[in-house]
Amino acid sequence: MSTSETEYLKGKASEDYKHGFYTDIEAETAPDGLTEDVVRYISHRKDEPEWLLNWRLKAFRHVRDRIDGGESIDWAHLDYEAPKFDEISYFSAPKEKANYDSLDEVPDEILETFERLGIPLEEQKALTGVAVDAVMDSVSVATTFKEKLEEKGVIFKSFGEAAREHPEIVREHMGTVIPYTDNLYAALNSAVFSDGSFVYVPEGVTCPMELSTYFRINEAGTGQFERTLIVAEPGAYVSYLEGCTAPMRKENQLHAAVVELIAHEDAEIKYSTIQNWYPGDPDTGEGGVYNLVTKRGLCKGDNSKISWTQLETGSAVTQKYPSVILAGDNSVGEFYSVAFTKGHQQADTGTKMQHIGKNTKSTIISKGISADVADNSYRGQVKVSKNAENARNFSQCDSMLLGPDCGAHTYPYIESSAPSAQVEHEATTSKVGEDQMFYCHQRGLGEEEALKLIVNGFCQEVLQELPMEFAVEAKELLDIELEGSVG
Amino acid sequence: MSTALDTDVRPEDRFISAFEVNHGQALNGVNASIAQQREDAIERFSQLGIPDNSLEAWKYTDISKTIDRPYTLSLAAEGPSVAPSDIEPFTIDAMDAHRVVLVNGHVDESLSDIGDLPAGVVVSSLAQAGETHPDVVEAHYGQYADAEDEALTALNTAFVQDGAFVYVPSGTIVEKPIFFLHITAGDEPLFLQPRHLFVVEDGAIAKIVEAQHALTDAQTFTNTVSEAFVGERANLKHYLFQDEGTSASQVHTRAGTQKDNSVYSTNTITFSGEVVRNNATIEADGSFCESNLYGLCIGKDEMHVDNHTQMDHVQPDCNSNELYKHVLNDESTAVFNGKVLVTRGSQRIDAYQQNDTIVLTDDANIYTKPELEIYADDVVCSHGATTGQVDEEGVFYLRSRGLSERRAHILMLQAFTDEVVSEYKIDPLRDYIAEKIRQRFASYFA
Repeated sequence: MSTSETEYLKGKASEDYKHGFYTDIEAETAPDGLTEDVVRYISHRKDEPEWLLNWRLKAFRHVRDRIDGGESIDWAHLDYEAPKFDEISYFSAPKEKANYDSLDEVPDEILETFERLGIPLEEQKALTGVAVDAVMDSVSVATTFKEKLEEKGVIFKSFGEAAREHPEIVREHMGTVIPYTDNLYAALNSAVFSDGSFVYVPEGVTCPMELSTYFRINEAGTGQFERTLIVAEPGAYVSYLEGCTAPMRKENQLHAAVVELIAHEDAEIKYSTIQNWYPGDPDTGEGGVYNLVTKRGLCKGDNSKISWTQLETGSAVTQKYPSVILAGDNSVGEFYSVAFTKGHQQADTGTKMQHIGKNTKSTIISKGISADVADNSYRGQVKVSKNAENARNFSQCDSMLLGPDCGAHTYPYIESSAPSAQVEHEATTSKVGEDQMFYCHQRGLGEEEALKLIVNGFCQEVLQELPMEFAVEAKELLDIELEGSVG
Repeated sequence: MSTALDTDVRPEDRFISAFEVNHGQALNGVNASIAQQREDAIERFSQLGIPDNSLEAWKYTDISKTIDRPYTLSLAAEGPSVAPSDIEPFTIDAMDAHRVVLVNGHVDESLSDIGDLPAGVVVSSLAQAGETHPDVVEAHYGQYADAEDEALTALNTAFVQDGAFVYVPSGTIVEKPIFFLHITAGDEPLFLQPRHLFVVEDGAIAKIVEAQHALTDAQTFTNTVSEAFVGERANLKHYLFQDEGTSASQVHTRAGTQKDNSVYSTNTITFSGEVVRNNATIEADGSFCESNLYGLCIGKDEMHVDNHTQMDHVQPDCNSNELYKHVLNDESTAVFNGKVLVTRGSQRIDAYQQNDTIVLTDDANIYTKPELEIYADDVVCSHGATTGQVDEEGVFYLRSRGLSERRAHILMLQAFTDEVVSEYKIDPLRDYIAEKIRQRFASYFA
């Protein structure tokens, strides 16, 4: 350890001491900028094993070179100012202090949305960061779940905890699907990731419930560089839910998460996301979240299956391409997506299906809805390598435009090197049909009701892929988002 | 006169120094505006550089490798002498047409047979048109092709010498097709840069057929730029048949612009070539336009064909259709990148795009990327892409009707390509091409 670093840590330590425990936690953030010291500091703060620190450092050197080399990701159909990597604070300890003392202080519009989404009171408190009682209901719920999972041998922990308690599993799998060299944001995440979830489902086990970050309420506030790893051993099944329908205000503008899924033989992983982060000021687009996520699944074993479902309604800028590498024979990859952009939101999202094994199948259903002055792009790649005999892909990307000033774009890439492969791609762009509206009016529905009905119908194919409770909420969420889009 | 390109230096510099050496050798050397365009273009080319596959538009075709060969930059006013018997296989005699033969990009009058044209119609070389119709040339030349952002269009503009020229004045109908037969001849590894201009004014109707063939096995590269203007209520059908053999590479850039109520159709069939890149751009700069883009690639051996299309809807109430098909055999590669752009305010657009590919062998590759970029809401736009094999059910049906396996396969492939070939609305031409394609398919199953 260099002297400066030791001094820095010593300084930090004495600072802690000086201000006492609580103040310390609230104030504790790493200094701005991306330096080796910061990476070491994060690792140290999280009490990580040596190997993980070394891994972070490797990633750090790589990403530092790329940033210094002036790399930026500018190929997407997005217009935003590139993050200034040296002005970001890469670590801030979770806040102990509540945002609000009681629900009365929470802005009415948020409460109203909760009401309509049917979110229980205690959850509302947790979501808005209201101080909660020690005997909070959901905590005990979470505990019951934990017991049930342990019984089956399912490991569901925070990433940091898992790295300490199950180093062999984490070490074996982390970075194998998304290496730290993958892309600029994934590299950045690998160096400075804050926390995230780790799921391990042992051989032959069907996870007894839908896993959700929701149930790890005490682990909330995982920060801006989430890292999730899900491993399904042969014959295992797990369904994982990320995010929730409630509007989330994030403290940080840049979110660069990494999600890796690994499905061994006969295993299945279903990963659902609902993202409704702060989209920025509706008139100027200022202050919204940049959601730049790398998500990839590996169908490692034969007959394995990975399915991504996402509903993206939030964030100022969304750039994510949940992908599947279909390495095992007969493996299946699925991607279902609804991306709704309005105001000044921009989304460039899609998927990548890489067919490597024989008889692999993939399905892509993507629905983009654009309103106001938003831009919504689908960008997807279907790649069939030479040995992927009898590979099949079906892609459908539909865009709906609500208003004359928005944009909808599709950029599908199809690369096929196998003669027996069948790849089909379809895309349409249109507005809500006047005849559809007319029919609804005729049946007595008002303009807004009719629009909601039509848009929900348009997204039905995707929403039905969500776990049931989520699907209902998702539908409500879309309705709320659509309000004010008429006229 | 010709200049051998020095291969030791950066490929761009070879062209730039050749430009300096041959300053005066250009179309209409006295025309100040064209001379200035040439100067600007070489400057722009030097800034842009030859595209390589780090550029999204050239991702699957690294043209810089193909260009980086010891070609000879031909600047001769006259091509080598070609006998009528040499071009006989390509003349499609059954087609009654106004025929112009160009050898290495220059009109060869002895081989041409223009015949009688309606009053006011001009079919000639571009160089000649520069003298006889300077107003038409100046009004349209360099207006539609993008020499600002496309390095190879800039390169062509810098070296412009000659090419084909058609002018159909207002309200004139040219009944017979105008047929340009482009021949590459000579033993040298030529780098050719023909430049064509087709102007069809308001209410006029014309059919232009272009066929490209080679009489040489030398490795050649042709960098063509062709511009078309279709006036109000005009109708231009523009067919291109590419069959230059296995040693000829080319970048063929076509830029067309059309005005209100006009119809512009292009149809490109690539039958042979080494590396072939076609850039077809249509700008529907008027309301109630109809634009059609068709293409077919019959890939064999190591052919690499890249069709890059751009359909720009910048005015409301238009429709466009795009259909490209590939049949890929051996180690051939096809690339399709089609883009439909609907700009803000261009409402009530119907735009369709389809790309279908049949892959016959393990070593053939297809890269397809149909794109939509839409900024208006009252539109119906769609695209589709499929890749796969010959439909075995169809083959089974034909076999059950008594056809041999071979015949059934040939027939299925013919049926697949017919959707494009049948868009050739000149019967003798369509028959000629359909027969060539049938023979090609027959040879696959010999």
